[in-house]
Amino acid sequence: MSGYIIVNILSTLLILTSLVLILAKSPRKAAYIYGTQALVLVAILITLGSASGAHGLYTWSITAFITKVILVPAILLFALKKMKPQQEDMPPRLAPTVTVALTVVIVVLCVLVVSGITLPTALEVKPALAVSLALFFIGITCIISQRSIIKQIFGFCLMENGSHVSLALLAPEAPMLVEIGIATDAVLVVIVMVIMATRMYRTIGTLDANEITKLRG
Amino acid sequence: MLFGFDIAGFAIASVVVPFVAAILIIVCKQAAAKWLSLGAGSLSFFATALVWIGFAGIEAERVHSGLISLGKVEVLGLVFDQISVMLASCFVVIGLIITVYSIGYLSSKNREHADAPRRSFYVFFTLFIGAMAGLVYSSTLVGQLVFFEITGACSWALIRYYGTKTANRAALKALILTHVGTLGLFLAIGILFFQTGSLGIGAIALLDDHWKTVLLLCVLFAAWAKSAQLPFYMWLPSAMEAPTPVSAYLHGASMVKAGVAVFARVLTEAGAIPEIIGWVAAIAAVITLLFSFFMYLPQRDLKRLLAFSTISQLSYIFLGFAFFILGSSLAFEGALMHIFNHAFAKTLFFLVAGALSFTLGTRLLPHIKGVLKKQPLLGVGFAVGALAIAGVPPLNGFFSKFAIFSGSFQAAAGDFLLMTIVVVALVETVVCFAWFVKWIGSVLPGEPSEVVASATPLPKSMSFTLVLLIIMVFVSSFIAAAWLG
Amino acid sequence: MTLESTLLVIALMATPFAAALLTAVLPSKILPHWAYEVLHAFSLTIVCVSALYLAITVVLNGENVQALGSWFYLDALGAVFIFLIGAVGLLAGWYSLPYLRHKVGNDTLSNRQVKHYYFFFNLFIFTMLVAVLSNNIIMMWVAIEATTLATVFLVALYNNRFSLEAAWKYLIICTVGVAFGLYGTLLVYANGASALADSSQAIFWTSLVGSGAPFDPLLMQIAFVFAVVGFGTKAGLFPLHTWLPDAHSEAPSPVSALLSGVLLKCAVLIIMRFYTLAVETLGSGFPQMIMLIIGIVSVIIAAFAMLMQDDVKRLLAYSSCENIGIVALCLGFGGPLGIAAALLHCVFHGFIKALLFCLTGNLDMKYGTRELSKIKGVLQVAPATAVLLVIGFVSLAGFPPFALFVSEVLAIIAAVVSGNIIVVVIFGLVLTVVIAACFRAISKMVLSKAPEDAAKGEVGVFALVPQILLVVVILWFGVAMPQQLFKGIEAATAIVLQEEGNVLLEAPVIKDLFDE
Repeated sequence: MSGYIIVNILSTLLILTSLVLILAKSPRKAAYIYGTQALVLVAILITLGSASGAHGLYTWSITAFITKVILVPAILLFALKKMKPQQEDMPPRLAPTVTVALTVVIVVLCVLVVSGITLPTALEVKPALAVSLALFFIGITCIISQRSIIKQIFGFCLMENGSHVSLALLAPEAPMLVEIGIATDAVLVVIVMVIMATRMYRTIGTLDANEITKLRG
Repeated sequence: MLFGFDIAGFAIASVVVPFVAAILIIVCKQAAAKWLSLGAGSLSFFATALVWIGFAGIEAERVHSGLISLGKVEVLGLVFDQISVMLASCFVVIGLIITVYSIGYLSSKNREHADAPRRSFYVFFTLFIGAMAGLVYSSTLVGQLVFFEITGACSWALIRYYGTKTANRAALKALILTHVGTLGLFLAIGILFFQTGSLGIGAIALLDDHWKTVLLLCVLFAAWAKSAQLPFYMWLPSAMEAPTPVSAYLHGASMVKAGVAVFARVLTEAGAIPEIIGWVAAIAAVITLLFSFFMYLPQRDLKRLLAFSTISQLSYIFLGFAFFILGSSLAFEGALMHIFNHAFAKTLFFLVAGALSFTLGTRLLPHIKGVLKKQPLLGVGFAVGALAIAGVPPLNGFFSKFAIFSGSFQAAAGDFLLMTIVVVALVETVVCFAWFVKWIGSVLPGEPSEVVASATPLPKSMSFTLVLLIIMVFVSSFIAAAWLG
Repeated sequence: MTLESTLLVIALMATPFAAALLTAVLPSKILPHWAYEVLHAFSLTIVCVSALYLAITVVLNGENVQALGSWFYLDALGAVFIFLIGAVGLLAGWYSLPYLRHKVGNDTLSNRQVKHYYFFFNLFIFTMLVAVLSNNIIMMWVAIEATTLATVFLVALYNNRFSLEAAWKYLIICTVGVAFGLYGTLLVYANGASALADSSQAIFWTSLVGSGAPFDPLLMQIAFVFAVVGFGTKAGLFPLHTWLPDAHSEAPSPVSALLSGVLLKCAVLIIMRFYTLAVETLGSGFPQMIMLIIGIVSVIIAAFAMLMQDDVKRLLAYSSCENIGIVALCLGFGGPLGIAAALLHCVFHGFIKALLFCLTGNLDMKYGTRELSKIKGVLQVAPATAVLLVIGFVSLAGFPPFALFVSEVLAIIAAVVSGNIIVVVIFGLVLTVVIAACFRAISKMVLSKAPEDAAKGEVGVFALVPQILLVVVILWFGVAMPQQLFKGIEAATAIVLQEEGNVLLEAPVIKDLFDE
């Protein structure tokens, strides 16, 4: 079995984990699921590294492991511990069935779009590429469909994962500095978002995006 | 050259001095405002007069001098010919006369609008004078657009001067409607630049027929908006919320005249003009003419009556332009003379209306009777203004209307539709005359009514300007005819 | 390229960064305010002077500067924008001093918050400079993302319900939007890595542009749309512009001035860089269509929103959306005139919006509110502010003799030349709505009757001077554009179009007429 096929199969796991993440009731569970998804991402990077012979991907997988599997969930879990939101589960804006249906539509559209690409590096991994693009849009779906601010932060993380995988698939030879830059940036964004969420929780007393509607017009 | 200076220098001075004065008025104390405004108006008038004298001494028919260029493209420039020299002096001198008048008018003695003068009036009025001079002298479409826009902004500030809700709304209406008109100028600039790479009005002559038609229609559109023709007329009757001196300027020598001045400039420089433009202008003019005629019949407020009368007089000017395009240069001269003559006549009439409300506290015609006995100067002014607008000889309105009509008959000879248009216009003139005579008969003679009997005296500055304007109404036509003929 | 300019480019970026670090390290409990103020003023003055010097040398010598390998790069296009950052940064930074003193004086802000303010302000300037000077396309993205992170705390400075809400919306929408930008950037990079002979060069804008490499067209289309939506979010373009009115109205006034005046333009610069790439690989049809659609929709939505506002800062914020929409429209019209109009509009609008937002600071100090219905009779209460406000709004409405008129006329000429007559008619009518909104604001605030109990008096000369300087610039650029600026715009236009020489004066129509 060629490494590329494994990559394609692993990538479907990304879709599954992100769906579970969106549908998860508590933000705490979501953090663990996010860690799992990050592990899948690390696995994809390693497999891709052995399949394409791009050794930069191994170091890349290490930074991804540190930032995505450990740091991001840890930061969020720490913040959740400090805030202890009373109403832990806010009902999502969209019903779960709608979310699932939307995901399916996104995946189909992405497969259609990706099928037109003729780039030589992309030929072997088109399914995975479609999945990474879909993951990006699933992240947006998560931000739109969820009321919990914490869940919205996860939505951003999903989008970021999507672009990460796309980069790895399309340009496995990318210089170290690029991926370190992107990874650090993502962690910084998560930290700033958590700080803002904490301040809002302290001042406004809620983490419900539906309550943040004073500014209009 | 005049006294060692180029006439362009004087022309620039006539525009720049009011602009600088406006800034000074903002910076200086309240008490200095009217003197600064007056000084700037006088200097500007002297400058335009010197331009006139200087130009008269030159053999050339048309002098052009560029001011600002980007690369080889002239962005701003000045043009001097019979039209610009005459109209600039006319618009500036009327601005000056009205400034003198408003020094008397804007006071706590005013019975209709008792109000201490504020600086904002003088700032924007002075700016307005400079902008009108600039508009007329501009040799590029961009220059015209610049001053077109500035006059729009000034009129906004002056119409809303009293700050009431209706005044605010009227001011915004004037600004918005005339700005919709600038869209035509914007497009014209784009087309001209696209087709010839130039912004100068003279380049219009280089266009092919198709683009020339489009461009002239765009400019005509802009002129309609500024000159309160259909379908844009609404702003002018509402603009009556302005202080009366401002209305006088808007009607006599600025806003509405800006539109026709722009169109006249473009017509003189456009070379051979497609006939279709003439047809469009003529038909639109006669429709507006009829419309405004039916609108002013029921008016009882003197100022609203005058508003619709202005709209119809502007239609005559457009009619003159239209028949120029259709082949009569006499009609064009008549139209230009009418711009000049109507400026004095309408200003006079407005200032009389303002003086009536100043002394009587009302301007509703049915209440005003027996003016001649109590206020002879106002009575004479009223009669002279009304008859001049109606076109009664030997007042100035007669000569210009006569030129327009005889030119029109020449051009329309043999064409049934055109002849109908001319005849309709002629009928309007006659009825208009009858209508004004009716009001003269009701307002002037007889014993003063209660309102008139309680009149307060008129300030000297106001009487002085009225006398000056009455004289001008008699002589302006000869000045214009001598100059253009 | 001289060593001196290279060092200056590095110094330009290092100064605000060092100032920020120093501000962060100095303890706010011991030190008085003025220590931070001096540091802040010192840093911004150096930034302004060196930015002006660099911009003028690059434009006049026609040489580009590179620094730190090829990571940083200053061409005429960048020069136009560092000029804007330097000049507006200094004036808004200057205005910050009296404004913050007032806020400390009435106990709205604590010492610690003041320290935060100066720290993030300098960091903000630093991130914008990095965004403009990057040649590395990933670095561009990182820097744009960093501007969000640096400013979100400035937006949330007052730490009340409204500012926190605004900051959160700003953060979430911009990071999501800019994630689109990242995706677009990555696609371009991946595309370049496989198409260029030396794939390690694919990360530099200078090697991607003009390479003539066989890019995948579909991938490039997706990348361009992603980049426009992504960086367009940051620039305040439809559809992800909704954060802008909140963030720009809740931020402290000098910060709003910088956000609206400069930051939006930095995002526009990034869009222009992608636009150049897209035009090169796809032809001008597709990119121009995208910019036209986004531009006209932004302009229409924002113009009508301006009419509805009762909050003067929200009105100004929507006007920023509208003006960035005009810039996008100009890019959509294309051609040398369109690009030049876009660049000029960026510069002019930067100065005008900075002026108006600083003036809302004056109003805030006098009236303590931003509501149009409560700010009455500015002319009687604070005459100098009133005159400046009138000038600001009139120039925002695009009236001559102020600068914005020039770029709007140029935009319309570009539109007619490109043949988009219907778009230009819609555009012209929408501008009328903008004018109505601006004059309505003047009417309501400046020329109305002052309330009886209003305390008369100006805000102080020190606060007025930067505003007067801004008015001078607006008038100067409107009446007589300096030759250096014209040359800079011309060279920048040449870069966007990837053509050599004096593109403006050699634009086809003008050339045909004079080169006989």
